[in-house]
Amino acid sequence: MTIARANGLKRSYDLNGWLFIGPSVALIAIYLVYPIFRSLYLSFYAGKGMMMKFAGFGNVVRLWHDPVFLSALTNTVVFFVVQVPIMITLALMLASVLNNDRLKFIGLFRTAIFLPCVTSLVAYSVLFKSMFSADGVVNASLLAVGLIGTPIGWLTEPFWAKVLVILSITWRWTGYNMIFYLAAMQNIDRSVYEAARIDGVPAWARFARLTVPMLKPVILFTTITSTIGTLQLFDEVYNLTEGKGGPSDSTLTLSLYIYNLTFRYMPSFGYAATVSYVIVIMVALLSFLQFYAARDRS
Amino acid sequence: MAAVELTDLRKSFGTLDIIKGVDLAIDPGEFVVFVGPSGCGKSTLLRMIAGLEDITSGELRIGGEVMNGVDPSQRGIAMVFQSYALYPHMTVRENMGFALKFAGIARAEIDRRVDDAAGTLGLGALMDRKPKALSGGQRQRVAIGRAIVRDPKVFLFDEPLSNLDAELRVHMRVEIAKLHKRLQSTIIYVTHDQVEAMTLADKIVVLRSGIVEQVGRPLDLYDDPANMFVAGFIGSPKMNFLPARIEAAEAGRVTVALASQPGVRLDLPAAAGTAKAGDAVSLGIRPEHFVAAGTGDADLAVEVDVAEHLGSTSYVYADVAPGERVIIQQEESRHATARGRLVVGLPAERCFLFDDAGRRIR
Repeated sequence: MTIARANGLKRSYDLNGWLFIGPSVALIAIYLVYPIFRSLYLSFYAGKGMMMKFAGFGNVVRLWHDPVFLSALTNTVVFFVVQVPIMITLALMLASVLNNDRLKFIGLFRTAIFLPCVTSLVAYSVLFKSMFSADGVVNASLLAVGLIGTPIGWLTEPFWAKVLVILSITWRWTGYNMIFYLAAMQNIDRSVYEAARIDGVPAWARFARLTVPMLKPVILFTTITSTIGTLQLFDEVYNLTEGKGGPSDSTLTLSLYIYNLTFRYMPSFGYAATVSYVIVIMVALLSFLQFYAARDRS
Repeated sequence: MAAVELTDLRKSFGTLDIIKGVDLAIDPGEFVVFVGPSGCGKSTLLRMIAGLEDITSGELRIGGEVMNGVDPSQRGIAMVFQSYALYPHMTVRENMGFALKFAGIARAEIDRRVDDAAGTLGLGALMDRKPKALSGGQRQRVAIGRAIVRDPKVFLFDEPLSNLDAELRVHMRVEIAKLHKRLQSTIIYVTHDQVEAMTLADKIVVLRSGIVEQVGRPLDLYDDPANMFVAGFIGSPKMNFLPARIEAAEAGRVTVALASQPGVRLDLPAAAGTAKAGDAVSLGIRPEHFVAAGTGDADLAVEVDVAEHLGSTSYVYADVAPGERVIIQQEESRHATARGRLVVGLPAERCFLFDDAGRRIR
């Protein structure tokens, strides 16, 4: 009797549980799990539009001979190799400065630095385009100060276009990462720093040898999320270059290439799915490497 | 020359005065304990000596030199924190040797000092562990070791035992006392625990609201408190205070009658001019100083409420009058438990008299 009731109760709890998570599970299954497997399936098919036929690893072979893919891959790697370390370092330094209670208007500074990541993407892209145009305010200022002799082609020269993309994503996401560091820093016992001060540990060493190692888990987390973000970089490039990744593919990223393969050119779903899996593999590989590099050796 | 000398030291946060003029001289090798209730400014005072808080006014000398504006690392001090303040990502050995690297000390010398300190503190087997793998007492020993390796002129301890459990606290208290004996160094130690203060100190500084209430050797403070606050703070259980009135005052002596039992009268010394007939005063007597009825200078009848038996000692909680509670300590007194009347003796030589402002009358 008791056992039967217990079983009934258990079943009722089980059912309730499933009912609670059911809608989410269904949505995740339809919009996440299914596409993952569907795209894996698609990546073995080649062809334009609906005319697809099984190609085995044909798409993977095509990757190697596709100069556009290779330049998108190179650009993406350049973006994350250059941008992530710059942003992480900058965010750490800003957090360290803004963790000082003696600083005046600290709330204002914290808000100002965090604000970019909640501003409208399109609005800021349009602004950046205007500011960095050949006769924009940036060139005008640089000319006025005398740093440059001729205007920089921010949107027309391959090198400077990359710099602009890196600048804009750094501007947008540094504050976001800084908040993580600031939160973590405020959890560090102040007396650790006081002990270090009394013991004569210089300020740079307190930052480099105490703060940074103590923030290791957060730094690892933000490095991985930033790396993934940069590998999936799409919005900024799309908005700054009218979806072309120009000039001459110099800012074309893998995500933008996938978009173009699917929606801009004659649709090539199978090949686009294969490129998507390149991102998946890179994210997995880099995350593993970062975890491995940051593991606790004791 | 004093190891540490404070002259009219003051600290204010805005308009709020935290330390209101402290004068103190600490001799070389002396173990000085700052004690007082929370918020009395004892930690702030210690942090001012350490250089972690600015000094608003007054003068701080360490080893004869004025240290007011000197960087903490240049003051010749080392500090042990309540939270241990160990570097969580470093091993015990690294924790102890870390700061020395920046002082330009050779690697071999650092190793020697760290090993010496580890030997002194019995940390030998733990040198390659990280703080999270240590118990509270071990962490505190590492923190002390980190202070020792710097070979400071003055050690500062900020409530170092507060995070430990009762048993470990007693153990570490003994360890610190032994360490002081061995190192013969000057120690300033902050605690709110008067037992720690009594057992460790050569000299106790009792603080209240940023003012030094009394400075003295532990037993001097116990035997001869300067005021009601010190009398109540030093000693456990705390001193009983009974409201009383001065019945008569003559040259050097007063007759005091308890407010609630006017028949209980005591003859006590009082310097001329310190008290006059009719003054309201407080009569202080420690729980351990009551004697058997008839053997004191006056008998006090009380209503027993509760008795606590600790084996060797019993604490009797009793009322002199409704709401007027006294604690009476009795040795080996298991029978004095029953509720009801109890008569105890008051020895005049063990009683203290305080005026209505809490100042001692003697």
